[in-house]
Amino acid sequence: MDAFVKHIATIYPCRDAIVHKLYKYYRTGDPFPPALYIYGQSSTGKASIVREVLRSDGNGLRCAHINAISCYTNKILFEAIARQLEGAVLTQANNYSYDRKLEYVKDFLAALQSLPRSESYVIVLQNAERLRDMAYNLLPLFLQLPDATGLNISVVLLSSLPFEKFHIKTGLPQIVKLFVPEYTRNEMQRIIMNDYPSHIERLTEHGNPKTHHWLSTVTPEFHQNYVNLFLGTFWKVCRDAKELRLVATECFLPYCEPIRDGTIPATDSMNLWRNITKTLKVALSTMYMRLGTGTSVTATTSTLLPQYIELPYYAKYLLIAAYLASNNATKEDKRLFVKNHGKQRKRLQTVNARAKVVEKMITKLGPKAFNIDRLLAIFYAILDEKVGLTCNLMVQISTLVHLKLLTYASVDGGGAGMLDGSVTRLQCTVGLDFIIHIGRMVGFNVRQYLSDFF
Amino acid sequence: SALQPAGTPKRNIQLSNIIEECSNGRRVSRLLELSPKKPQPEQMEEPKTPKRSTRPSLGTTGSSATKSTPKSASKMKLIRDGTIKPTIHARSAPLGDGANELALARERLHVSATPSSLPCREKEYEEIYNFLEGKIFDGVGGCMYISGVPGTGKTATTTAVIRALRHLSEEEHIPKFDFIDINGMRLTEPRQAYVHIHRQLTGKTLAWEQAYNLLNKRFTTKAPRRTTTVLLVDELDILCNKRQDVVYNILNWPTLATAQLIVVTIANTMDLPERLLMGKISSRLGLTRLTFQPYNFRQLQEIVMARLAGMSSFNSDAVQLVARKVAAVSGDARRALDICRRATELADDQARQTGEQVTVSMTHVQQALTEMITSAKVRTIRSSSRMEQLFLQAVTAEVTRTGIEECNFLGVYSQLEALAAFSGVSVPNPGRAMGICARLTASRILICEGGRNDIFQKILLNISTDDVHFALQASKLL
Repeated sequence: MDAFVKHIATIYPCRDAIVHKLYKYYRTGDPFPPALYIYGQSSTGKASIVREVLRSDGNGLRCAHINAISCYTNKILFEAIARQLEGAVLTQANNYSYDRKLEYVKDFLAALQSLPRSESYVIVLQNAERLRDMAYNLLPLFLQLPDATGLNISVVLLSSLPFEKFHIKTGLPQIVKLFVPEYTRNEMQRIIMNDYPSHIERLTEHGNPKTHHWLSTVTPEFHQNYVNLFLGTFWKVCRDAKELRLVATECFLPYCEPIRDGTIPATDSMNLWRNITKTLKVALSTMYMRLGTGTSVTATTSTLLPQYIELPYYAKYLLIAAYLASNNATKEDKRLFVKNHGKQRKRLQTVNARAKVVEKMITKLGPKAFNIDRLLAIFYAILDEKVGLTCNLMVQISTLVHLKLLTYASVDGGGAGMLDGSVTRLQCTVGLDFIIHIGRMVGFNVRQYLSDFF
Repeated sequence: SALQPAGTPKRNIQLSNIIEECSNGRRVSRLLELSPKKPQPEQMEEPKTPKRSTRPSLGTTGSSATKSTPKSASKMKLIRDGTIKPTIHARSAPLGDGANELALARERLHVSATPSSLPCREKEYEEIYNFLEGKIFDGVGGCMYISGVPGTGKTATTTAVIRALRHLSEEEHIPKFDFIDINGMRLTEPRQAYVHIHRQLTGKTLAWEQAYNLLNKRFTTKAPRRTTTVLLVDELDILCNKRQDVVYNILNWPTLATAQLIVVTIANTMDLPERLLMGKISSRLGLTRLTFQPYNFRQLQEIVMARLAGMSSFNSDAVQLVARKVAAVSGDARRALDICRRATELADDQARQTGEQVTVSMTHVQQALTEMITSAKVRTIRSSSRMEQLFLQAVTAEVTRTGIEECNFLGVYSQLEALAAFSGVSVPNPGRAMGICARLTASRILICEGGRNDIFQKILLNISTDDVHFALQASKLL
C-alpha cells in the first residue's frame, strides 16, 4: 500500500490522504462501496487521481470514465458505460458503432448483469452535477447499482458542488462523501517546483546552444526563488494549479532573459525582480484568457475591442442612441433631446433627488429595455442631418441585434414584427468605454447626453 | 393466502379477467380465482428489433416472443392470429385445502371470491337486468351509464347480470348475444379499445386503424342474421382524450339501427358525462343512468355475514365494528373484507401461539383496524431521529411565527439554531440540516423543493401542526 501511495505521489504530489482512502476503498479486494462522491474545487486533482488509482493492471478491475456533459441522452450514457466496462473499443472494424442498443434503464441493467461476475467494476462520472438534469431515475439508480445488478460495482461521482445540492424529493440512499481540499501555498510551491526539468528544457530550446554555460547558474535554488516570487504575486488571485503552472512556465523565460544576456547576474534577485514586475503585471491581467505565448506581452484586448469592430456611420449612431435609451430614464428624454423644453424650476426636492449615489446610477444598475420608437426618436435627435427612415436603417437595427450589440428584452408572441410598437423591447449590451470610443470616432460627446453625469 | 395491501385492490383487472374467462366458455378454475391472471409477462424480455414491427399493438397478447428468431416470429404470428391462447404456468399440484376454519373463512373473505348473488344490490341488479333483457329482446341498441364510488359493486353486479343473461340465452329463453368487455385502465392508449373489441369479436389482433375500420364496417352495414352485442366499458373516464373520438365512436355505434349494440359504461363520478364529455357525446350516452350508493354499515355487515354463512369463526360484534368503521369512512366493501381478512390472520397467529381454537373477536378487529387506518406519518415522526424531530419542531415554530404555511429554509434554520440551543444539542451545519430536510421530504412529512435552490428552498408541512405536536408529545424534546 505504501509503495502504491508513494508511486502516485511522484506524479500527483500532496494528495497522500485521498490516495490512501481511495486505495482502502478500491484496491484492498474488499467489496466496493456502492457509490462514492468526491467533491472539491476545480483542478484539485480529483479526476486524475481517481484515474491513476483505478488504473487496471491485471487486478480484475474494469473502469469506465464518463463525462456527464457529453451524455445528453440516456442512450449515450448507457452505451458509453457498457462499452467501456465490456472493454469494447470503437474502431474502423466495427464501423465506430456499438452493436447493442441501450435506451432504457432495464436494457442498461441487463447489459451490466451479463458482465462476468468474477471481476469488479467502477464507473467514474465527471461533472456529476449534470445527472440532476437528466432523467429522474438516473441518480438514484447510480447510487445503488450493486443492489440492482448483484455485481461488485461502484460509481464514483466527481463534482465541484457539495452533495446537498443533489437532494431530490424522493430521497437518496446514503453515500460516502470525500472532500478534496485546495492546495495550500506550500503545496502549490512543491507542485510548481516539480516542473523544474521542463522549465530548464524550454530554456535550452530557446537560447543559442553555444552559449549554454549560463544555464549552470539556473539551479534548483534559483528556481525555488523564482517560484516563491511568482506565488507572491499570483497566490492572492488564483489557486488553480493548472493555470498557475501555465503562467509560471510562461514567465520563466523573460525572468531568465537578463541572465542569458549577462546584464544581471543570477545572484542579484532584487534586480531580477524589478526586471520581471512588468511582465508579471501583464500576465496577471491576462489570466485565464489563454492567449497563447505570442500575444501575452501586448496589452489587453478589452480596450481594443471597439477598434476591431468596424460599423457603418448610421449604425454607430444607432448604437449610441440605443445606449442612451438604455441608460437614461424615459422622463429625462424631453430635457435631454428636445430643443425648447421649457424652463426648469429648481426645487430642493429635485436637487436632493439628483444627488448622485454611485450605486444607484443607471449605468451601474444595468441597461433598461426600450422600444423601437424611442430608439428612433433619440437617433433622430442626436443626428444633425435629416435622413429618411429607409429600410437600410431598419436592417441595421436587426444587424446590431445579430452582432449581439443589442438584445431582445421581450419578444412579441404574435410575430407582428419589430414595428408594431410596444411589444418588442430591446436592450443595449455594450459598456460605457465602448460607447465613448464609438462616440469619439464620429465626433459625438456621449457623456453630455447621459443623465448620470450631470 | 397472501395479505392484500391496504388501500383499494385493483379489482377491475381481476374481475374482468374472470369474466373474460367465462365469456370464452371456459370453466373458471379455482387457481385462477386465487391468483388472478396477469395481463401477460410483457416485461420478461425487451424488444431488440425496431419497435413498430415487434411490439404488439396491445398489452394483453403474449409478447414474450420478442427475439427475432424465425421460430418465435412464427409463434408471434400465431398469437396475433388468435390460434394460440396466452396461458400462465400452472402449479405442479394445487395447494391443499387447509382444514382450519379460519383459513376457510379467509378464503371466502377474499375480494376476488365474488359470490354468485350479491347481497344488498338487488334493486340495481333488477334495473340493469331489465334494461339489458329488454334491449336484447327487442334487438335494438342502447346505452347505460353506471356510476358510484369504488367498492360499491358496480362491476360485480353488471357482470352478474351478464352471467345470468348468458345462462338464459344458452337455454334459449332469450336471443343469443355476444359479450365484450374492455377496461380503460388496461389500455395503454384509448385507441387500443378498438383492437380489444375486435379481438374479442374475432380473435385476431390488428393495428388500431384496421380494427377501427373493420368494426365500423361491421356496425354500419346491414346483416340479416346479426346478433346483439353487449359491450361493457369499465373506467370510461380513462378513454376520454382531448379529441374524445374513441368515446364518441363507442357511443355512436349503438345509435345506428344496423349495429344492435348495447353499451354499458361504468365510471366513478356521477357527473362525468356533463363534466368531461362533449355535448354530442353526453347526449348519445342518454339518460339511462344508475348510481350505486356507498354501502351503509348494515349492508356491509350483511355482505360480510353472507360470505361467512355457516361458519362460527367470526364474532358478530366484530363484524359490526368493521362495518361501522368502514361505512363511516368510505363504504367500500373491499376495505371491509380486507380488514376482516387481516383480523383472521391475527387470530390465526394467536391460535398458533396458544395452540387452541380461537374465534375472531373484537380485539383482533381492533388491532387490524389500527393497523390499516391509523396514520403512518405520526408513526414515522415518532420513530424518526432526534434531529429530525427537532427540525420538524423548527418548521412548526416558523409556521406559527410567520403565520404563513410556506416557509423557507433560512427561517427554519434560524429556528433550529434556537431550539438546539435550548435543548443543549449542538446545531447541525446547514448542509446536514438540508440532508435532514431531504429525508423528511422523502418520507412525505414535509414538502419541499429539491436541493438545488439550497437555503432558499420553500418548505411546507404535509401534516397539520397539531399532528406534529401530538407525535412529538412522547419525545423528550418537548
